[in-house]
Amino acid sequence: MPAQDVRELRIVGFLCNWCSYGGADTAGVGRFSQPTDLRIIRVPCSGRIDPLFIVRALLNGADGVLVSGCHPRDCHYAEGNFYARRRLELLKRFLPVTGFDARRFEYTWVSASEGQRWQHVVTEFTRRIHELGPAPNFNPASEMDWNALALHAAQGQTCPCHG
Amino acid sequence: MSQLDTLKSAIKDRLGELECVIGWEQGYDPLHATPLFIRTEADLDRLIIGPLAVHNLATYLTAYKGKKIGVVVKGCDSRSVIELLNENLISRDDLVIFGLCCDGVVSQRKIRAALPADPGFVEAVDISANGLKITVAGQTAMLNMTDILADKCRTCQHPNALISDVLIGENRQSASSTSLACQEEFEAKSDAEKFAFWQETMSRCIRCYACRNACPMCVCRDYCIATSRDPLWVSQDNSPAENFMFQMIHVSHLAGRCTECGECERACPVDIPLMLLRRFMNKQVQDVFEHQAGTDLEQTPPLLTFKVEEERINERGW
Amino acid sequence: MEKFITTTNLTRLAEELAANHRVLAPVATGCTVTFRRFQPGMTLDLHSRMAAVSAKAGTFPQTETLFLVKRDTTEKKPELIETLPQGKNVVIGGRPCDARGKLMFDPVYGTEKIKDLYFLQRRENTIFITLACDRPETTCFCHSVGSGPADPTGSDILLTLVGDGYVARAMTPAGEDILKLSLFTEAGDKGKEADAKNAKAREMMGQPHDYSSAPATILARFDDMDFWQAQAAKCISCGACTYMCPTCYCFNITDDDLGLNSQRIRTWDNCMSHTFTLEGSGHNPRSTKAHRLKNRVGHKFSYYPDLHQGVMACCGCGRCIKQCPVGIDIRQIVKAAQEYSE
Repeated sequence: MPAQDVRELRIVGFLCNWCSYGGADTAGVGRFSQPTDLRIIRVPCSGRIDPLFIVRALLNGADGVLVSGCHPRDCHYAEGNFYARRRLELLKRFLPVTGFDARRFEYTWVSASEGQRWQHVVTEFTRRIHELGPAPNFNPASEMDWNALALHAAQGQTCPCHG
Repeated sequence: MSQLDTLKSAIKDRLGELECVIGWEQGYDPLHATPLFIRTEADLDRLIIGPLAVHNLATYLTAYKGKKIGVVVKGCDSRSVIELLNENLISRDDLVIFGLCCDGVVSQRKIRAALPADPGFVEAVDISANGLKITVAGQTAMLNMTDILADKCRTCQHPNALISDVLIGENRQSASSTSLACQEEFEAKSDAEKFAFWQETMSRCIRCYACRNACPMCVCRDYCIATSRDPLWVSQDNSPAENFMFQMIHVSHLAGRCTECGECERACPVDIPLMLLRRFMNKQVQDVFEHQAGTDLEQTPPLLTFKVEEERINERGW
Repeated sequence: MEKFITTTNLTRLAEELAANHRVLAPVATGCTVTFRRFQPGMTLDLHSRMAAVSAKAGTFPQTETLFLVKRDTTEKKPELIETLPQGKNVVIGGRPCDARGKLMFDPVYGTEKIKDLYFLQRRENTIFITLACDRPETTCFCHSVGSGPADPTGSDILLTLVGDGYVARAMTPAGEDILKLSLFTEAGDKGKEADAKNAKAREMMGQPHDYSSAPATILARFDDMDFWQAQAAKCISCGACTYMCPTCYCFNITDDDLGLNSQRIRTWDNCMSHTFTLEGSGHNPRSTKAHRLKNRVGHKFSYYPDLHQGVMACCGCGRCIKQCPVGIDIRQIVKAAQEYSE
């Protein structure tokens, strides 16, 4: 998906320094073609990623967030990705109640040698985000959007559970 | 002896060795209770229990570190005590727990909706087993307990204190239902509807942090990352996105620790139904980790541990 | 000037004003009533209950942008954009306690030496169409702090519910201009009915509590931390009381860096928070909730009246009592100080 064909979307990638970051590098050295929507943030371990990084990115207007770390049992620090797996899985399952499309967030494992796998992951994820389109803005973008929202709220919306 | 008298005499027996015992007393009007810090036998006369004693007093425990105190807990509150013990945030030796077998507490919001006039005009309240007879602005209304019971009580699985030094009252039955229709209705909405719902509710959030401070598990107290300038997680700007970011902080820091006492939602001055988020998160925690916080003294919060093979996490194929 | 307006016409008035004013009015959303930016299609909710949050935002919004900074990627100097509040505002359906709140701001934000232009501009350009209360809540005590359920102070128009509409009395020239609109009719003898209603509401409030000894007695307890610890035992240090309050005027100023666009904002701050007095060194002169509650009560009922001719920095709206998650009653605390004996 070359950038010139469609408008680029904002996808944030949190990549472990010891595996996926290297994997992305391997893909680059191997001259595998990749979409360019992804902005990579290198972290020392997937265990460093607070799920709130992902929430913050989504609230700040990211169209998608991808996390990639070392395969389980391959963590440079022995167990960082085991903790990460629990946190990220919980976030993934939690997102639907917030109204954020859970497909906008994904986590996976790519090692430093898996250049081809990296190409596959990033291409597939980017394709998915493009299918979803730009993410809605949590803060209404204009005065008109604000008004529409307020009006909708004030017109008989009942409050769940407070009945 | 009534449950209250039994409780009073149990507290009287232990009061001498304790800094104070935390219970409830009648608050600023007949419809509201307020926490009571019992230091003398004279204070004990003011103690009340019952459907108006809504506050989860476990919220105060961490502030008394190193002092020996007593606390009166309902079934739900006792879960918070267990969770605090499991996380080593309080010491069992410093705590005397007066556990209640609870018939449920009211929701002030449901009372407000059911009354013919604003509950601010309340003149008299008569509490019986069936419900509350409330006189408000000259009109008297009989509200059935089943109609004004707090949501958490409708699905309560632990009406009897799970941990206590003295358990007062006879064991109550847990609720037959474990799900709330309103919760399911909300979850069934489309992403766009849920998104708009939170946008709107967050636009009325004033970020007073009542939800956070009423929470027994929010133990960072004065050092919450939401008010830190460095690192800066949340702007002071009270836009919907920043307000929601704070709520996400609260939810995520409670993941696997929330005992569903409902204090956050009860405390909210602008009636934001925060329990929609909590219940959903707790359901996920239950699904993935088979964990219900504060129900067992030997638990480890699921995010503080891991398994090499996670049976219930389905690694997604890429 | 005295006129009458029907309930239907009051909504129409709000709609008409919304065309060229920023109108704030109590509106029900979900199961709460708060002041929202009113627009045609919304229903005014003046009577179901007092709005949860005061109308303070009319003259002192929770977030005020002080200025914007725009940069571009060149070496050019950043551009500073002033954002003084523009336009006219109307607050419809506030209560007398809402309208009075801003008066406590005046001697602080509009002195000879210091003029807070953001507040003063809003103050100047905001019309208050206030609704007199017909019945006190258990938490109301406006009559004890020099006001009352039909106190017109701070309002441009005072409405009193009579039959299917409101008797409207103009208190200022701006109010009179509005009463000249054709939506209003002659009040006739409804004015007398309104007077009777207002008198009855005042009567229902009973005897006021005398706070005149509060400044001295609270100050006398200043170093008595045992007293304040006992009062603050159940406080959970949230900011509900402060943010609900019509008179709390403390703020925080922070910079938000938004890439090439930044803004300096002023936001409500609250003295119940640990960070309120946290110093750069890490020292905090109000390190416990007892210190902070002492400040809140002391400021309203002692330090402020001492500086400003005995006026209490409190409108008696009672929101801090009924919205407090643990039911702290500020009246009881002041009384405890007044009645304190060794």
